[in-house]
Amino acid sequence: MRKFSVLITLLIATFLIATTINVLVWDDAHTEAVKSLIKVFEKETGIKVNFEMLPSRSVLEKTAIGVSSQKTDYDLVAIDEPFIPQFSDLLLPYDEWPEGSKYKKPSLKVVLPEAFRAAEWKGVIRGLPINGNVYVWMARKDLIEKYQDEFKKEYGYDLGFPDTFDQLIDMAKFFTKKGIYGFGPFTIKSEGATCEAIFMFESFGTSVLELKDGKYKVVLDKEKAVKAIEFYKELLKYSPPGATAYGHSERIAAFNQGKIFTMFQWPAIIPSHENPDESLVAGKILYGPPPAGPEKRVAIRGCWILAIPKASKNKKAAAEFAYWWASKEMGKKLVKAGMTPVREDLLLDPELRSEKPWFVAIFQSMKYAVARPRFEKYPEVSDVIQRYWISAVTGQITPEEAIDKMVEEIKNVLRKYGY
Amino acid sequence: MSSGSMVIKRKPGVAPQALYFLVPAIILVGFVLIFPIIFAFFLSTFKWPLVETENRQFIFVDNYINIFKDKEFWHALYLQIGFILIAIPIELVIGFSVALLFNRSFPFATLIRSLLLLPVFVLPVLSGLTWRLMLQPEYGPLNYLISKLGFKQLTWLADPKLAYTAIIIQDIWRMWPFMFMIIYAGLTTIPKDLIEAAKLDGARFRDRVFKIIIPLLKPTIATALLLRIIDALRIFSEVFIMTEGGPGNATTLLSIYIYRQAFRYFNMGYSSAMAIVLMLISLIIALAIVSKNFEVE
Repeated sequence: MRKFSVLITLLIATFLIATTINVLVWDDAHTEAVKSLIKVFEKETGIKVNFEMLPSRSVLEKTAIGVSSQKTDYDLVAIDEPFIPQFSDLLLPYDEWPEGSKYKKPSLKVVLPEAFRAAEWKGVIRGLPINGNVYVWMARKDLIEKYQDEFKKEYGYDLGFPDTFDQLIDMAKFFTKKGIYGFGPFTIKSEGATCEAIFMFESFGTSVLELKDGKYKVVLDKEKAVKAIEFYKELLKYSPPGATAYGHSERIAAFNQGKIFTMFQWPAIIPSHENPDESLVAGKILYGPPPAGPEKRVAIRGCWILAIPKASKNKKAAAEFAYWWASKEMGKKLVKAGMTPVREDLLLDPELRSEKPWFVAIFQSMKYAVARPRFEKYPEVSDVIQRYWISAVTGQITPEEAIDKMVEEIKNVLRKYGY
Repeated sequence: MSSGSMVIKRKPGVAPQALYFLVPAIILVGFVLIFPIIFAFFLSTFKWPLVETENRQFIFVDNYINIFKDKEFWHALYLQIGFILIAIPIELVIGFSVALLFNRSFPFATLIRSLLLLPVFVLPVLSGLTWRLMLQPEYGPLNYLISKLGFKQLTWLADPKLAYTAIIIQDIWRMWPFMFMIIYAGLTTIPKDLIEAAKLDGARFRDRVFKIIIPLLKPTIATALLLRIIDALRIFSEVFIMTEGGPGNATTLLSIYIYRQAFRYFNMGYSSAMAIVLMLISLIIALAIVSKNFEVE
């Protein structure tokens, strides 16, 4: 009886003493993988983790409501890279993160350098990049093999990785003639549309915003931006019916049903294309970096970072959890469970590469990574870009009119906030 | 008293003790209803970016002045009013017509009446999601029917006019049974003798509807309209799920615009000011309907 009382007392004491951290993250295959292994972390460290997974947009809202400079509901939050400037003052710089007790603080060298750039704002790294999310090109390998000769006969070069945007159009056109839609666009009003717009603008050699001498300037080149819109409109001709209302779910469904030859995709979503329970084309997909645009080869980046709010009272435990998540040994297990890593050693691990053929494409694409405009009031700028990009590519207004209005309204946003 | 108006008689000499019993309810209502309004008004006098809690600046009425200069606000209000003016009269006509049809006995009437009410009980989020799938250009059943009839498939939610039409159709589908429910309840209170007498006097169906039923139902219809208009001013989830206010700003109703300002741009003060304006619009509409159709003696 006495032993039993001691045991109960010890259990209660352990429960009361154990540190609990609140973690807020986005919801996809990556975080599902982490969730599935949290018990391992809790067992090893004695730190209890409340792991809250929400759709990306809700993560942002909850962070804004729950994190301030004085107090925070969360000890560790995931932040999508374009929103880092907005939250930067509330986050503990990575340099000041405490050392881990059990897991080592990852050196900047192990993470892809472009991904660390995603975590940087005004020269300070605000958190630990945690997923290698950058656009990769994907296409049906089985169709490439099937139509190789016929394509070469018609176009005079091998069917495979498109090297240029012109080759991408050739392939889209060719497969549409064969009854398979050539391209899967992203056209609904959301962050995805901003990504598509920036990807195209940068490929045609123009950016939206530039920070010079502490001042923001709209630098969108009308001629280049119009060409980018016209190119995308051309791609839409080879897209499925209803492609002017294509979001993530529509394009995933169409590609998984085998209706689309090629599209650009976020690595975090690829596991659903490669899951035989969800996809008719699992195991039949080829991955690579996006083709080069007329001006340069780019890949839009969308890395999430793990950040510790300055107001957190459990910084050490939060850092420990982040280090566990980012460690190589756990990374190997997490990758098998569905995580998209950002560590170079994991992306290039021979064993993982054979299981996840898109990892090499992430590594290659990251070299050409470009970011969405980095700006404290980014959401308003993104909203303007989405609105006019979609209006133009879906033919509601002319590309020229869209760019004029886009520039004018972004300037209004800058003026409104005194930039 | 004008004909067709509802009379609310105030009973004289309510015992003062009764007021004590009302105190808990008044406190509760004050906390749940009045406090958020006062707090929203308080917020509306500040410039407050949500992520910069310390940088709250008192700007008094500047947010209200900015509303009047904000083209997007006026566009959202225009869409909202258009939505109300199109959807609610159609819901009223359908609800009224079906109520007239059901105001008689026939086999399974009770069962059919109950089934007709089903859309009202569908959650707005679910309704939005269902309509989004039904209107999907490629595999949506509506486009399938359209193509079977030999017409070109429509990209409902990608075309600004069609998307606006789609959210109105969705609302009509979901809310006409609400009109039906209230009007049917009103119809059952009209004395049958009155209608029979009119029939004996040779009144045609049209005369019975326009000269007897509608005037007698005026307060009921006013109540239904009032509830629907207030509800329609707050519409959010269905539209958010179907279009998120797009394409462009084609379906950015006022509630969507307020949400965007609050939780996307994090302008809490400005969005609170817009919420107060929306509340004032609801109040003005409610006062106009109540003062015209109800009389307090």
